[in-house]
Amino acid sequence: MVMDKKSSLTMEISSDEGYAEVAVLRVCGALDFSGITMLSNVFEKLFGEARPYVIVDMAGIESICSAALGEFMGYRKRFVEQGGNLVFAGLAGNVRSKLTLLGANKIFSFYQDVRGAVNAYRWDYKKHSKSVSIAFPSFLQFVPPVRQFASRLAKQNGYSAKDAFRIETIVDEVCNNAVEHGEAGKGSEVEIKVSINKEKIALSVSNKSDPDKVAVLKELVKPAMPVSHVGDDDKRGRGLALIKMLSNELDVEITERGTSVHVTKLREE
Amino acid sequence: METQIQLTCEEISGKSDARIVRFVGDLDATNVDLITEQIFNYFSDGLVKIVADFKQLRYVNSTGLGVLLHFNKTAREKGGCFKIVNLNEDVYEIIEIIGAASLLDIYDEMEDAVAALS
Repeated sequence: MVMDKKSSLTMEISSDEGYAEVAVLRVCGALDFSGITMLSNVFEKLFGEARPYVIVDMAGIESICSAALGEFMGYRKRFVEQGGNLVFAGLAGNVRSKLTLLGANKIFSFYQDVRGAVNAYRWDYKKHSKSVSIAFPSFLQFVPPVRQFASRLAKQNGYSAKDAFRIETIVDEVCNNAVEHGEAGKGSEVEIKVSINKEKIALSVSNKSDPDKVAVLKELVKPAMPVSHVGDDDKRGRGLALIKMLSNELDVEITERGTSVHVTKLREE
Repeated sequence: METQIQLTCEEISGKSDARIVRFVGDLDATNVDLITEQIFNYFSDGLVKIVADFKQLRYVNSTGLGVLLHFNKTAREKGGCFKIVNLNEDVYEIIEIIGAASLLDIYDEMEDAVAALS
């Protein structure tokens, strides 16, 4: 920890477990002009240690001057050039208001706390995936909330409305097929696992097979008819054709015991 | 329990066998039977020229698309038509991907669709 005895400003560097390149800089006190040299020394130290992703924990900052903000901006640029970033976490109301007034929110990412900033690092830089698993009774009426959940999940994680709509459609079609062609009745379930990261969303949908429908299902997943040839009398295959056109990878495994469908959709916009 | 969808019907001046039917909500596997029943009731009442306003139709899946094709075919067989207007971009994409855009009678503007009824 370094300390400015005149102003009682302190700065302490710590690490995030598991990510050596991430530095958490905890700043406490009033960050005014006299603290800039201390700030600069700390950042130069981080450059020397090749730790280009810096989370500045501002929870203990009482005030900040515009010159200090300028220092942050200059170093942020250098960290970004090194493939990292400089972000703010834990901003108190008055400090946050001042930084927003100065337009800093257009340059820096603000996070609620250090954990949020680390999660953003994992998401942006480590392609960390978030996963959700859902099991629902094998009835059609349970599919709409599941597809709408997948759409919201995509939107909440920065996917565009168009991508979210396509994901909603894929989930809908895969789950409808699982209900229609899988084992029906009391106790039968469809399981869906959704894994999402910054670049893609992966879906795995599985259900028990209905022995009487396995042959029909295997026929359906043979190389599909060209979608342009789908006529108004064709009752089957549209859903699968849609999934194929909207996704980047599709893999279907059908056995007498169960069916698993794996779909990957890359983020497009 | 079905996904929310509502149909409202509006007369068209001077065209006794035609109606504007506005779709509001999502058209999917949970409500196609309900919608099919309502549209076929119009057909049974001699209302064989339908202009389907999709301005507030947020979502359609392959099952929903299947019944739209079915309405289109049935209306034509009865000497009428099933015209679609005000499609949102997402729904249009689904129709186009499935290769159904050329099978359906799609218009950008309501007045063009109504004028084409003559």
